[in-house]
Formats: sequence, C-alpha cells, structure tokens
Amino acid sequence: MAQYQFLIRRGLQGLFVVWGVVTVVFLLRFMTPGSPVDFVAPLDAGPELRAQIARNLGLDQPIYVQYGQYMFGLIQGDMGFSYIRGRPASGIIVSRLPATLELAFAATVVAIIFSIPLGVLSATRRHEPTDYAATAFSLVGISTPNFWLGIMLILLVSVGLGILPTSRRPIGLLPAIEMLLFQLDTVGVRTWIRHMILPAITLGTYFTAMIVRLTRSGMLDQLGQPYVEAARAKGLPETLVTYKHALRNTMIPIITVLGLQLGTLIGGAVITEFVFNWPGLGTLIIDAIRVRDWPIIQGALIVIGVGFVVINIAVDALYARLNPRVDL
Amino acid sequence: MSGKILSDRVRRSLRKEFGRSLMAKIGLFLILLMFITATFAPFLAPHDPTQQELEESNLPPVGVTQTDEEFQFVDGERQIVEVTVVGTMEHPLGTDALGRDLLSRVLFGARTSLLVGLFGTMFAVVTGVSVGLTAGYYGGRVDDALMRFADIMLAFPALVLAIALVGLLGPLTILIPDPFVQLGLVSNMPDNFVFPVTLTIVVGVVNWVWFARIARGEALSIRQQEYVKAARSLGASDSTILRRHILPNSLTPIIVLATIQVAAIILLESSLSFLGFSGTSLSWGFDIAQGRDYLGTSWWIASMPGLAIVLAVVGINLLGDWLRDALDPGLEGEGGGM
Repeated sequence: MAQYQFLIRRGLQGLFVVWGVVTVVFLLRFMTPGSPVDFVAPLDAGPELRAQIARNLGLDQPIYVQYGQYMFGLIQGDMGFSYIRGRPASGIIVSRLPATLELAFAATVVAIIFSIPLGVLSATRRHEPTDYAATAFSLVGISTPNFWLGIMLILLVSVGLGILPTSRRPIGLLPAIEMLLFQLDTVGVRTWIRHMILPAITLGTYFTAMIVRLTRSGMLDQLGQPYVEAARAKGLPETLVTYKHALRNTMIPIITVLGLQLGTLIGGAVITEFVFNWPGLGTLIIDAIRVRDWPIIQGALIVIGVGFVVINIAVDALYARLNPRVDL
Repeated sequence: MSGKILSDRVRRSLRKEFGRSLMAKIGLFLILLMFITATFAPFLAPHDPTQQELEESNLPPVGVTQTDEEFQFVDGERQIVEVTVVGTMEHPLGTDALGRDLLSRVLFGARTSLLVGLFGTMFAVVTGVSVGLTAGYYGGRVDDALMRFADIMLAFPALVLAIALVGLLGPLTILIPDPFVQLGLVSNMPDNFVFPVTLTIVVGVVNWVWFARIARGEALSIRQQEYVKAARSLGASDSTILRRHILPNSLTPIIVLATIQVAAIILLESSLSFLGFSGTSLSWGFDIAQGRDYLGTSWWIASMPGLAIVLAVVGINLLGDWLRDALDPGLEGEGGGM
C-alpha cells in the first residue's frame, strides 16, 4: 500500500518537473539572441517575406498564445514542424531514439560486466597488484574525457589495426534481430555488434571506472561488518560470503549513485554519438542547435528531460524494493 | 571564525594526513604543474601557439619518423612520392595541420581549462550555496519553491543543458591582455588571452544545484543546534546567523565537492570546446577536434592535448579523493560527473 502511495506521490512530483522542463525549454527560445526567422529566411529576404515566414511559423503571436499552442500540441504528441526539413519534429526525434537507447544500453551492459567483478576483486585482494591495477584504471577512467577516448580507440583499433569500423550505424538492433529470425542471416547482428563495440566502450568506460570505485569502497565497508564474520563463522564458503551477502548490500549505494549519474550517461551519449557519427538524439540536437531548428531542439530536450525524470522514478522504486528498510 | 575556513585542529590533522599520502602528493604535484604551466606559458612555450607555418605542417613529435605520400612534380609530371620526416626538438610534440607548435598550444591550453574550471566552480559555489543556505534556513515555501526549481534543473543532464545554452546563447569572449607581454618580459607571444565568458557562466549554471543541495542539508541540520538558537535569542539577525554560524559550519562538504567539481568542469569545458562552442581556439578540447581530421596521417595532433586533460583531471581527482577521505563528510560518490 505504502508503495503505491509512494509511486503516486513521486509520479505527481515527476509531472510537475515535466511541466517545468517543457516551460523552461519553451522559454529558452525567447531568452536567446536572434530570431528563428534569420535562419529560415533567405539572406536577401525583404521585410514582407520575413513577416510572411514569421506568420507561417506562428511567431507573430504573443508569447502566451504561442505557449498555449505549443502545450496543446505537445499533449497530442505534436512538437511542430522542423524548420529545416519541413517534417514533423516528433517523427524525426522518434526515429533517432533507438540509436541512442541502444548505445546507452550497450554501455551500461559493458560497465556492469566489467566493473562489479573488478570492484569485488579489488576489495577482496586489497593492497595486492590486482587492487592497485583496478584502482589506477578507475582513476584514469573517471578522468578521461570520453570524446578523446573514442578518438583514441578509433586511432588504435580502426586506423591502426583496421579491425573495427570508425563510425556510423548501418543497421538498428530490431532490424538486425528481424533479419536473424526471418531470414536466418546473422550478418545483421554481426554488423550491429561490430559497429557498437567502440561506441559502447567509449561511453561505458567512465561508468565502469565509477562503479569499480563504488563497489570497492562499499565492499570494504561491508566486509568489516559483524554479519560477514558470522557468515564465515558458520562455515559459509568465502565466495558465497562475498557475492551473496556483502555484494548484495553493496548494490544499494551503487544503484543510488547510478541513478544520480544517469544524466552523465545521457550527456556522455550525446558526445559519443558526435564522435562516432552515430544517428541518435545527440547528433540531432547538436545539428539542430547549429541551424537553430527550434522545434527539434525543444522536442529533443523535452524527450531527454522527461525520459530522465521517468528513469529516476524507476530507480527510486527499485531502490525501495532492494532495501526494505527504506522509508517511502 | 573570521578569516579562517577550517579550524586549527582540522588543519593540523590534514597536514599530518597529507604527509602520509603518496596519492595526495602526486595530485598536488600535477595541480601545481598545471598552475605553473598556465601562469608562465609565454615563458615556457618554444613558439607562439597561434603562429602558422604552413611549410612545417603535420611534423611528428621528436624522435618519431613519419612516412607520408605526397604529390610532387617529377620531370614535369605529377607523381606520388614517399617522403620521410623525422621529428626534431624544434617542435618537441610536433605541429598541427597549420604548422602551429603543439607543445606551445598544450601549454597555453592549460590557461583556458584552469580559468574556466576555477571561475566556473566559483560561480556554481556562490550561486548554489546562497540558494541552498537560504532554502534550508528559512524552510517552508521558500524552500519548496527553490528545491522544486532545483529538481527541474536536475532533469536535464548537465552536458546536454550546457550544449544547448552555450550553442544557443553564442560564444561571448573577452580579451585579457597578457601581463608578461604587456610588461615587455617576453616577445613573439600572443598579446591577449581569450577568456570564454558564456562558457564559464554556463558550466557554473549547470552545476550549482549540487552545491545548493548540500548547503541546504547542512543548513537544515545546523539551524536546530543550540548555539544557533542561542544566537537568535541574543538578537542576531538572520543574515548574521547565516554568515557567521551556518556558512562556516557547512563548509567542509562544500570544499570537498568544489574540488571534485573543478575536475568535472574541466572535462565539461573540453567537451564544449571539442564541439566548437567555446569561442576560443586555444583550448585542449578544440585541438582534439582539429586533430580528429588527421587521425590517418598525424596521430599526435589529437593525442597530445588529450593526455594533458587526463593528467590535469587525474591530479585534481587525486587531491579531491584524499580531501574527501581526510575530512570524511560522508559524500561518497555524490556530484562529480562530467
């Protein structure tokens, strides 16, 4: 019961934040210098043509009318038409979503696979070479700008060894799986993986490093607790003590911090996409900012902001499940 | 309390802890290196970092041999000829595509990163701490309104918000005359340093929330303490209590977070410069972007400035980690992030 109340309260808070996000993003256009007309109109456009363009874009209305229209459209999933491409912004944004989600997901998988065992090893073999190596790796990992890491990976792996592609995403995960299931052809999945490896490592390294640090300090904390002694005293194998008891309790702070750092993941995805020419939301936003394509900028920012709020609520719920002591 | 940020007891224990920690010493060394580099760049740099020498473009670092294919006219015909170039001490880290000396550019680039890192963090600390202390001390509606606004800010990933703000506001820069050049102590160096104003404010704006949250938490717990009640009953005004009692007692976690944030902001600055949104062309991130186009032929252009970023950020993180452990305000893993 308390869980539902918590979710409802958190949902209402989230709704408020979503409204704030939309409003801030809407106001952004009025706070920045220059009119969108400057970017849409031909360079030699006269005042008449400019007025006509402003009317077509709905920019001649007072700000509260524009706000009302924008909110009304948004509720129906309408984010306006891209100034540059003349197609609905929502469609363009949705078509870019899978690339970003796949990248973020792959990076998270990379991070979890490598970081947790490394962090546990580091804690259980404290002050041994393994620990020093893991600590050094995680320090450099959180200190390396991911765009530079991506470029260095391209330099070493793609340009130097010539084994993996440098950029682009020729096939999405869903079409690749479709191809595997219906045509029994693995080429789609193989192409997807080959193009995903470098971007996923680029984006995942920072998180791998961060989780190694968290796991290590959390495990060191837990391994000194009396319950660990008790588990050992009753003859439980060390592996079980480490992974079943100590690690389980370490997961709670890890998940909390991961939730806090989701923004970093999304931000990192934007710049990773830029480095690898990845057709996701990040490259879309950067391109749209350069040409002031406002419907796209606003729509993409809203999608990111709202997605972020939703994920945070999910993390809170997960957190409550993992830790029954938490007071909702 | 006036004039002293940390009490004598804390200072003494910090000094003792520092003597024991190798990591803290390495961190401090790297930070000092960056400060010295940034300050005395005109004396240390072998060349003017903006001086183009197209004849000397894409030269490799000292000791590195590079074989390139070049078009040349041989007996009136265009032919592909293999040319071998060896890096010399004239350009220890090599040159970029416009023949500018990379070592000089890396040394001068430290100025941009350091100044944006320090001023950006300062902006975030001042804004965040004022908002947080006010919210936590007064509580009630003020607190609700400020913290809901903070929630909205937190809904945007810092880098995404920064890209949008810097990209849309446009790069505003100011020229700061280089004092050494003005005094005539060095010649053949740039007269001015380009300070990216928009960028600095934006990196501060996207990071103030972390400070607001911590300051609010501290204010919430401190305002219940007996000595604050005592001060109030003696007739101290709100602003006196905030300044004399609550601020000094909440400084420890703020100092730790600020140290880590300098590293985060340097990473943020380099990302924005990499995307070309900073307005200055003398920055590590900007040079990496330039080198990206020459990965196939001149690997050093993108590599060298990146190494400088890693060294600087590792140094700050080492010192930040040590400070956190030494002061132990229970901040494990919060904030930070790029």
